[in-house]
Amino acid sequence: MRRNGVFVRLTLVLVASTALAACNSNKSPGSTTDSTTAPKCGAGTGQKATGEPIKLGAIATKQPGTDFTDIPNMAKAFFDCVNDNGGINGRPIQYLIETEQTDPGQVAALAKKLVESDKVLGIVGNTSIIECAVNHGYYEQQGFYIIDSGIAPECYSTPNSAAVNMGPRYSVDGATQYLIRQGVKKLVLDQSNVPGTGYIEGGFLLIAKDAGIPTESLKDNVPIQDANSVALKAVQAAGKDGGVVLNFTPPEALKILQAAQQQGLQDSVKWACSTPCNTDYLAEALGPQWNGKLGVNAELNLTTAAGPDSELYRAVQKRYAPNIPLGSFSQMGFVEASIAVKALMSVSGEFTAKSVNEAIKNIKDFKTDILCKPWYYGNAPLHIPNNTDRTVVPQDGKMIEKEGCFPISEVDPAIAQVRQIEAAG
Amino acid sequence: MPEWQNFQPFIVSGLALGGVYSLSGVGMVVLYRTTGVLNLAFGAVGAMGAFIAWSLVNTYGWPEALAYLVCVGFGAVISLVYGILAGPPLAGRDPLVKAAATIGLALILLGAMSWIWSDKARSLVLPTTTWRYSVGEVFINWTQIIALALGVLVTLATAAFLRRTGLGTAMRALANDREITAALGVPVRRVEAITWLVSGALAGAAGLLLSNLVGLDAATLTFLVISSLAAALIARLRSLVVTLLAGIVIGLVNAMVTPIFSISSYRDMTPFVLAAVALLFLSRHQQISFARRNR
Repeated sequence: MRRNGVFVRLTLVLVASTALAACNSNKSPGSTTDSTTAPKCGAGTGQKATGEPIKLGAIATKQPGTDFTDIPNMAKAFFDCVNDNGGINGRPIQYLIETEQTDPGQVAALAKKLVESDKVLGIVGNTSIIECAVNHGYYEQQGFYIIDSGIAPECYSTPNSAAVNMGPRYSVDGATQYLIRQGVKKLVLDQSNVPGTGYIEGGFLLIAKDAGIPTESLKDNVPIQDANSVALKAVQAAGKDGGVVLNFTPPEALKILQAAQQQGLQDSVKWACSTPCNTDYLAEALGPQWNGKLGVNAELNLTTAAGPDSELYRAVQKRYAPNIPLGSFSQMGFVEASIAVKALMSVSGEFTAKSVNEAIKNIKDFKTDILCKPWYYGNAPLHIPNNTDRTVVPQDGKMIEKEGCFPISEVDPAIAQVRQIEAAG
Repeated sequence: MPEWQNFQPFIVSGLALGGVYSLSGVGMVVLYRTTGVLNLAFGAVGAMGAFIAWSLVNTYGWPEALAYLVCVGFGAVISLVYGILAGPPLAGRDPLVKAAATIGLALILLGAMSWIWSDKARSLVLPTTTWRYSVGEVFINWTQIIALALGVLVTLATAAFLRRTGLGTAMRALANDREITAALGVPVRRVEAITWLVSGALAGAAGLLLSNLVGLDAATLTFLVISSLAAALIARLRSLVVTLLAGIVIGLVNAMVTPIFSISSYRDMTPFVLAAVALLFLSRHQQISFARRNR
């Protein structure tokens, strides 16, 4: 009897596990091979690189609820493609990805490990909540010039960091500018109640003040537990002919927008959102009721865009990283790796940390159809090379372009400083 | 302070959420009274049911009604399985151990949801949400009405069931003394299994409603159990009617505080504050213990 009882329990566990596995419909097919033509990256020789590897490294946040590893993983996919096409003068790129859990001690140790133990020659694809803040001083000391996806303010205000994105503050600026062009009479910024919101709302307040529009700043704890009330609060704060800018992750923004729709509020105000909302998943979840009604600031081109780089990006993703979804994260990784390869190709002579970082720093006029204007590094006290954005809107489950490239307002002082640096060449 | 007119839509929103908190709270209280288990996985069970329903509709094209039934059924079955597997070995343990064990179930389900569905934005909108009408400037949809009505109906039906049926009497007897009840010939295991099944079905229904009212997000739905738990604690894990009222009050206060900007950021504290105040008030003349008597 006892043995039978154990057997029944084990069977139940097995059945439950099988049922769970069967539900795993989300995962993309594991096969990485297909019959399509192999994409040509880098030198495009079609020959595998076999020489001594050139080491590059990256640090990305990976913890429950926050996983930025799609960015360096997509960068790795591009490097793999380069390695299959002759590498850098016959030498393959070896890419080391470290993950961190927002522990400053750990983040500092990882940078030292990459630079001093692994002897990487460059750092490309960093995407971390705290990395720029913790390590920018170390990189300046070591002479490393980082190509990253920025989050912390230090990614945009220090000399040895240049991001391919523009980060939450300037993305909120862009969303605010969109609503001002829509003619709103009052502006409300609603964002998650986490450290750093004061920095983000700084640009919003300045741009609204410059336009003579009254403002209200709201903060809501995440995860949102009463989306109906949050949506109502934002709409009431904006009032008639007002506009609401949301700065949340896609699932949290979706809760608010869906609650607004359920209460018939989607037409009560104009809605806008910072870059995280730029995903087809959100557009699909919102449905056709939101067609054209949510202006989303887009730091990068649509993933479906035409253009040689966008096509190569999709081809590389399909062949080398089919499990990474097409989206702004993987676009960032692709662009960062492309910039790094251009820098490595320009190194003449020995590959050392000094020569590689010098080459990265010297990158200018890097043209890609994924960004609005050419990307650059250079010698400057701060870098915001991506300071021109688009606006996209949901349309039948997809994001489509609503406004072409427009400059982020110089009313935000850092943007004004960057424009002066750009003008000075 | 906003005008009264501005508070009106928040009342609707608060009543709907309060109804679901009550529904969950009643499920937790009945289970606790019968089995001695404070089920902290209540939210995770409902969340997983809602995710399965979403997949069945959006990936496999199942009819919505059938998928929603599966959601409720999943809640019932997974709870029953847990009750069968973990109930007997934990029967003689302290209530705290039993509650901690359900956290294990919650974490397993939470991990499974993260693994299977990732954290992409999804929405589950019940058809009843599109049926709505306006009272003045306030929109009310049928999902909100159903949420409140279900909370009230389940409370009243459960109270009547416990008083008027043989099984209900057995459940109440178990709540008073498990050993004596067993000695009297009541099939303890079977009664407990039925309680797990019904409580799980309520978790599934609550998960379905909350995924529409709040959002289809694993962590949010899992931790919404806190509000229901507060309602159950205010009722001292005994009175179903007090659980119902406490759930509604928590939902209402939480929503009504939202438009008051000066305290709006602190509204997530509502369940804790109300539970603490209620317990302090109730304990002014006595010592409160959640341990079961006469084990």
